[in-house]
Amino acid sequence: MLRAALARNDPAAVELMWDRYAGDLLAYLQAVLCSRHDAEDVLQTVFVRIVQKRHKLAKARHLDAYVYSIARNEAFRLIGRRKRKRKVEAVNEIWLTVTEEKPGPNELAEELQAALARLPQPQREVIVMKVYKQKTFSDISRLLGLSANTVASRYRYGMEKLRTLLENLIL
Amino acid sequence: MKNKDTQNEQLESILRKARLPEPSPELKERITAEAKRAWNQTLPELSWLVPFRRLAASAAAAILIIWLANYSSERALAQWQSEKVPSTSEQFPGLESLPEIPYGPFVRQLATVNRQPSMIDASALNDHIEVLRHILDETQQSNITKPSELPGSRSHLISNPPSVISYS
Repeated sequence: MLRAALARNDPAAVELMWDRYAGDLLAYLQAVLCSRHDAEDVLQTVFVRIVQKRHKLAKARHLDAYVYSIARNEAFRLIGRRKRKRKVEAVNEIWLTVTEEKPGPNELAEELQAALARLPQPQREVIVMKVYKQKTFSDISRLLGLSANTVASRYRYGMEKLRTLLENLIL
Repeated sequence: MKNKDTQNEQLESILRKARLPEPSPELKERITAEAKRAWNQTLPELSWLVPFRRLAASAAAAILIIWLANYSSERALAQWQSEKVPSTSEQFPGLESLPEIPYGPFVRQLATVNRQPSMIDASALNDHIEVLRHILDETQQSNITKPSELPGSRSHLISNPPSVISYS
């Protein structure tokens, strides 16, 4: 449906793209960048890039993987720009929220996101997509263009590190 | 292995106590508006235009490379010319102008000496041939008249060698 709209050069494809990708891409970008604001800015750039490359997108063999590769490239471009400007901001922004409305829930969110932020980015993005977006290893491997074994091993190593980092929360 | 899976499930349940917020309606409005604006600004790509565009890009790249090569060679040449080094295609003006060329007196003298023998050779050879002819004539005449009256056994050929002979 989206591919057909892109091929027809129909602007309604923008809405379809939003419904299909926005939530997952925002989660993925937050996992890569550890910042909600940066993720939102990059998401906007990603949508503009997709629109500019819509003719290629309509012919792409793996549409989802192509969209995620655009998102990854834009995220790394932002990280590179930050590094060149030597503008490395401390990660003190809340990008995880807590489901239960109890007093002091932000402490848990802060602890979890601090632990996630200490993981290497490839492991973090796999864990975020699996845990928070309920993607299977097969889905993640298809979206990121990786083998299922690589995805599984990244998940396993990441979880091992998280277990050490969050041992006070594990009973 | 089962233990690891249980531990992972336990950890996942802790992680799921938090969640990632979904994109807000304001964000949707902002991004879709920007995307639609970009949509209107970007012309749909025509399939036949792609090879033409690639050809034009290749031609432009080739022109740029050739121009850069010419520019760099001209620049290198200009650097040499500015130092007033005589070029190889320039005609040699002759020995008279040697003092104006930046050579030392020793080199000038050497050039003169090296060039002189070619002029001397011809005249010296002529002289030598004349001497030989003269001696041969004398010898022939003396042989005809009185061969036993020659003064000693010494040859005229050995007695009078030319002073300066060079075959270089």
